Amino acid sequence: MNFARLALLTCFASGIAVPAAQAQLSHKPDAVLRHGFEDAASGPATDAEAARFLAQATFGPSSSEIARLRTLGYRAWLDDQFNQPVSTQVPYLNWTRDLPGTPQGNNDVNDETMLEAWTINALGTSDPSRSPPAQVTPTDQLRQRVAFALSEIFVVSNANGALSYQSWALASYYDMLARNALGNYRTLLEEVSLHPAMGIYLSHLQNRKEDLSQNVRPDENFAREILQLFSVGLVMLEPDGSVRDGNATTAGVQPIPSYGQATIRGVAKVFTGWNWNNQGCGAATYTCCNEETYDWCGPANRDDPPWRQPMQPVEAFHEVAAPKQLLDYSGVTLPGGVLSGGGNARADLAAALDNVFRHPNVGPFIARQLIQRLVTSNPTPAYVQRVAAAFANNGSGVRGDLRAVVRAVLLDPEARFGHWLAPDTFGKLREPLLKTTHLWRALGARAANGRAAGLRSWPYIEDQYGQGPLRATTVFNFFRPDYRPPGESVARKLDAPEFQILTDTTAVSQPNHVFALLFCHYVGSTRCWDSEDPSELQIDIAADETLASTDPARLIERYNLLFMSGQMSPFMRQVLLDRLNEVPAQVWSNEPLGRRRVQHALYLILTSPEYSVQK
Amino acid sequence: MKRVPTLDRRTFLRRSIHGALGGAGLYSALGSLQLSLAAAMQSRAKAADYKALVCVFLYGGNDSFNTVVPWDAAHYGEYRNSRQQLIADGGLALAQAQIQAQALSPLAASGGLPGGRAQDRDGAFVECGLHPALTGLRSLFNSGSAAIVANVGPLLYPVTQATYDDGSVALPPQLFSHSDQSLYWQTSRPDNATANGWGGRIADLLQSSNTSLLPMSVTLASQNQFQRGLLVPQYAMDSYNPDNPVTRLSYLGYAPPDYEDDGGPESWLLANDQSGGVAAHQSLLLLDSQQHVLERAYARTHHRAIANYELIGQSLRNNPAPSTPFPDTELGRQLRVVAHLVKAAHADPGMRRQVFFVASGGWDFHSTQVADQHANLAELSGALRAFHDATLEMGVANKVTSFTASDFGRTLGMNGDGTDHGWGGHHFVVGGAVRGQRFYGRMPSLLADNNPDDTGYGQIIPTVSVDQYAATLAAWFGVDAGGLADIFPNLGRFPDHGGANLGFML
Repeated sequence: MNFARLALLTCFASGIAVPAAQAQLSHKPDAVLRHGFEDAASGPATDAEAARFLAQATFGPSSSEIARLRTLGYRAWLDDQFNQPVSTQVPYLNWTRDLPGTPQGNNDVNDETMLEAWTINALGTSDPSRSPPAQVTPTDQLRQRVAFALSEIFVVSNANGALSYQSWALASYYDMLARNALGNYRTLLEEVSLHPAMGIYLSHLQNRKEDLSQNVRPDENFAREILQLFSVGLVMLEPDGSVRDGNATTAGVQPIPSYGQATIRGVAKVFTGWNWNNQGCGAATYTCCNEETYDWCGPANRDDPPWRQPMQPVEAFHEVAAPKQLLDYSGVTLPGGVLSGGGNARADLAAALDNVFRHPNVGPFIARQLIQRLVTSNPTPAYVQRVAAAFANNGSGVRGDLRAVVRAVLLDPEARFGHWLAPDTFGKLREPLLKTTHLWRALGARAANGRAAGLRSWPYIEDQYGQGPLRATTVFNFFRPDYRPPGESVARKLDAPEFQILTDTTAVSQPNHVFALLFCHYVGSTRCWDSEDPSELQIDIAADETLASTDPARLIERYNLLFMSGQMSPFMRQVLLDRLNEVPAQVWSNEPLGRRRVQHALYLILTSPEYSVQK
Repeated sequence: MKRVPTLDRRTFLRRSIHGALGGAGLYSALGSLQLSLAAAMQSRAKAADYKALVCVFLYGGNDSFNTVVPWDAAHYGEYRNSRQQLIADGGLALAQAQIQAQALSPLAASGGLPGGRAQDRDGAFVECGLHPALTGLRSLFNSGSAAIVANVGPLLYPVTQATYDDGSVALPPQLFSHSDQSLYWQTSRPDNATANGWGGRIADLLQSSNTSLLPMSVTLASQNQFQRGLLVPQYAMDSYNPDNPVTRLSYLGYAPPDYEDDGGPESWLLANDQSGGVAAHQSLLLLDSQQHVLERAYARTHHRAIANYELIGQSLRNNPAPSTPFPDTELGRQLRVVAHLVKAAHADPGMRRQVFFVASGGWDFHSTQVADQHANLAELSGALRAFHDATLEMGVANKVTSFTASDFGRTLGMNGDGTDHGWGGHHFVVGGAVRGQRFYGRMPSLLADNNPDDTGYGQIIPTVSVDQYAATLAAWFGVDAGGLADIFPNLGRFPDHGGANLGFML
């Protein structure tokens, strides 16, 4: 493939390759030129390329992971990650519940506890709920990163009153996403559909068949969203993700709806009769679900098993008789997309999910969103098509293999070289949560007692950042995949989803949170009221202090690699260097100059436009 | 503490704001000529007074049919039958006595003005009351400060059951879906998926009335489609602490000499070494200096945020909040901040028009509707009542109009202990300029079977379009006929109930 050579040529043609020796302070990154390779997936050839890959594939690079990736190479690193054990959150909640009750609140389990577990797994810090001989440190960083992306597509949220404070349900849902993140999409879709957190969130749990005498009709909530958000989307797509034109004779694109109200009603009928899992139910615990108890059965406590087990059918409430209109598309297996009556709840479910899974939209629909979450907001149609092809067939004839999809997303020539092809537009705004995990991973953050409570905050982190894991305001996530901020992005038709949560409010509250992380929460700090809380995550500034005090230019290069994949412009380097050189010594008594330089360097980098766009 | 170097403060702010907006010229060059022309036409008649429009969005889709409820025997019977049993018996129906205790007393026709009693499709009067939680809204209605607009929803053309069934009329795409229906409510353009919001477009048209640098579009409920425009950005604030809704950037550390307060949270950690930090921060965020499109957008947002909090903070400090107490609820806190902002803006002679957006979530009553809706309606009623009282206290009641909007009304039928997504719904308009104590539009049939107003599935077909509802508010706000035609191109398709102007504004 000559893609890489083409990339280089394009670089020169568009004038991006400014010689590094040029003294003028450019706002463009230095061009990093590679020679003598043909395969996008053969790298990384440099530490900077490794850091850039890790920024896409994990919650942020660290020096040790860069070195490891360079040793293994992309493909072996991915294969290694595919086989790491799944890190989960539910055991952490159980462990917390079983702690001594002192100091007060020590064994409280709430939605902030789930946030601690999320943070531990994202950072790969030692998990206090695990004990040897089990591996105590999460190692599945790729899986965790993909699970987070999936949590922004298959949304459930504690912002819904019925799931607020249901921490076990939320943790269990997230664990389900993690288990399936590198599995098959068909299984993922089924486990999403049957998880009680989703059943509560989109109200198909205890949904019932039509009873016109009671003026009762099946709830359409889940039927609508599984189609619109989790699988095929509203309109027919081309294999490259672009909207299919329903009428070539008129100007512009006339979208073709993927389905109509009849399909929503048909799918709603499929999702009738589903109720809590009966595991552990009984006279001594909580009411078992059956025809008599349909509306009032289910778990009593938040940590009862039904909150974590797939829903089960109560056939008396399942719509058996009526035929069900499902998706109708070219090549559909069911004639006209109609599932004939007579099936039980499980059979109907399997048929309906197969019907959705086989729809030609699913590949490009999911491919584009995963690319947006990991790599770039505006992939070319060809990139989407290559990933969608991997979804359709993993090379061994299997559809929906998410390992193949993730591999295709990350090893695509556009993922590896897109910043050379389209230096002014390639990439994405970094999500606030990812900026913070990036900081913590790069600076080796640890909590003294292992609880990683750095995102516990008031106001809640989702109010300060505009996002929090499983905390979106609605099923439409924190941001929509096609959001464009007013101005240039609209004029140039460039999607920039993450800008939807960059408001005038979060543009202040998020940097202020980072400010506190840097200036209050480093190892040994006694500076702020909560600095000595053993559950606070503390970054290791001391490791960089000597370098910072003796050679600030090299400190900047170190952070350029870790945070910006070597893409910092000469202009920005100079601004940082000027600032670090003038940072006064001894602002506070006994304060090392190096620490202060590190704090200023990191604040300015983490809030800078150049860093904030992952390219 | 050092100040921003080289530029005086006001110049810095003006540049930041205008730069952050991209400037009107940029957009003209990009082809929005029609809008620029319309704006130019409109600006010949600059507004001379202050007016504010406040959108109260109820995310999820309020169940209108348990909000405004008939209590006369015939209509109550139909309602009761649709909602199955009384709430006490596991259904959704409010008791007749409960509704009658909350009866509305609409005005009869007099003095050349039409009457305001609710009527059904046959022209018969419908005696209505409000949900028991809506005591504040009831007193506003009965005292003439609130009106009810019946059965409003997004439409492309008028739709009847016959034309719905035979498919002879174009319908808004993806009916009954949250994201689409709330989008159409906010843009009034079901025919254009990328249209800006009607609040944003009104602001674009009237922005030249404002010479003040205070933000024209303010949201207390984050970015929304309603206020998305081409020229006027939405300024998002929060209301966790309604006493001081402005938070500064900690890293900018300094407190300007005309402020009495400190800088951002923990900014004391910087001690006195921060002038260089401020300069470095500014250099990196320098407007339009970045190579990447998204980097420029990021820098613009930050400039605008800083400039706006400086301006608003100063303005709020100079104008103490009204003393009317507000409920400590989500909507109460949001509207309390809006009241304070109105006071500050009203005191600024350069401020003529403002559009506000507040919202609450949790109106998607698929289950546990009875308890949830009661709590939500109580919050809505208490907040709107307090807000209206605050405008009375400030002497601006006839300059401020608030109105409700929601994804959709809900189905007449039930699923379990809730209702599903519907279409048309009833809405409230509140303010001193409202021709209140009246119903506008007509009430739909609430029949469970063979309902002539539904889609066959308990979803009520709207009889008033969002275009009509919005245009009536826009006309009061000062948008002229040309502007209305530009913002609501489909308005002429709806001749009923007063056509382009429903008449509920004085």
